[in-house]
Amino acid sequence: MEGLIAFWSESGIANFTGGQLLMMGVGALLLYLAIVKKFEPLLLLPIGFGAILANIPNGGFTDEGGLLYFAYHVGIETGIFPLLIFMGVGAMTDFGALIANPKMLLLGAAAQFGIFATLIGAVALNFVPGFDFSMKDAGAIAIIGGADGPTAIFLASKLAPDLLGAIAVAAYSYMALVPLIQPPIMRLFTTEAERKIKMEQLREVSKKEKIIFPLMVLGLTILFLPAATPLVGMFCLGNLMRESGVVDRLSNTAQNELINIVTIFLGLAVGSKLSADKFLQIETLGILLLGAVAFAIGTATGVLMAKLMCKLSGGKINPLIGAAGVSAVPMAARVVNKVGLESNQHNFLLMHAMGPNVAGVLGSAVAAGVLIAVLG
Amino acid sequence: MESISEQIVESFGIMLLGMSLVFVFLTVLILGVKLVAWKFAPLPVAPTKPVNSGVSVQSQGIDPKMVAVITAAIEQYRAKA
Repeated sequence: MEGLIAFWSESGIANFTGGQLLMMGVGALLLYLAIVKKFEPLLLLPIGFGAILANIPNGGFTDEGGLLYFAYHVGIETGIFPLLIFMGVGAMTDFGALIANPKMLLLGAAAQFGIFATLIGAVALNFVPGFDFSMKDAGAIAIIGGADGPTAIFLASKLAPDLLGAIAVAAYSYMALVPLIQPPIMRLFTTEAERKIKMEQLREVSKKEKIIFPLMVLGLTILFLPAATPLVGMFCLGNLMRESGVVDRLSNTAQNELINIVTIFLGLAVGSKLSADKFLQIETLGILLLGAVAFAIGTATGVLMAKLMCKLSGGKINPLIGAAGVSAVPMAARVVNKVGLESNQHNFLLMHAMGPNVAGVLGSAVAAGVLIAVLG
Repeated sequence: MESISEQIVESFGIMLLGMSLVFVFLTVLILGVKLVAWKFAPLPVAPTKPVNSGVSVQSQGIDPKMVAVITAAIEQYRAKA
């Protein structure tokens, strides 16, 4: 009988708290979104499962010595996982479209306004009772507007580790929701005639240009913004491995096996931050709300900048491609292509949108560097 | 603890600084890319013109030189006949 009581007192049923059940529900919701809705499944699946594991009573996954504890401690607290992912993303990124039309970098810059506008929004939210975001918290929340998962996680782990779970979930959910959030904003700020604009074919880009590009980006970062060199440096390393053509094995590993392994542990470790005591707070709601605002503003400023460039260039630039300036590669570019096709069935904007899209990755990395330099 | 309005002023400052830095950084990068393009961009490939307007050289698999040689040979042959 005593054995039975001991067994019962160790069982999950006897130890569940309401919060844990709710967070397991959140984990299950993320699994649902990943599996049924196919929203960013590569990340939401491990994150959702991590959330379930982290809320098991007496499971000990997140206690010192547990698997999730170590995954978080080794990979995220140190910033190593997001940086390895960034190297993989660099190895997967083709800057050809951007090098052929470098003006697109301006769109990637304009779309970062969402980040800095949200910084003010997060601080202003302190007027509402129940919210108390420090400047560091505000900076970490604002980076959601960069629509770049690894950058958001890297910055949050540096500035506001307590909010990391909510920020990562918000960043990845909104990236998954790009096809829903962006089109209405894009239509709001453009006219039908503008959406129909066809763009000139991009020129060829030589191998030398592609090799020099990552080195030049790195050089500029070293000169102007050393705080961004962890992100930009790893990104450029990945890209150089790809473009140099002499280390195909390393490049392949970075963009396949390595990034996949890291993604599993990154997802689990982020999920482990979805524990009831950290996540079930009013602040989480605020973060989700601010994230959506950040995203919407970034999209809008990108489109407006593209509109300006369209006017200045005499109607050669389709303003839709500005929306791709918020990173979210390649989803945002695909959305631009889709909205463009709705107005003109023969207008394929995908390659043109890839320019601002990869420029957005650089832009948000630079913005993250600024936030680290000023607030860190 | 600084007041909220002070924080807002501070974040305004960060916004201005941040946006101008992002723009300056990427503008310098544009100049850099253009400079590299000016030096290393591939020359636009001149479209290969048919050597002789009277001969069709539609099939792309044939080397233009070869076409020229064959055309010359045919012309010589026709001149003889």
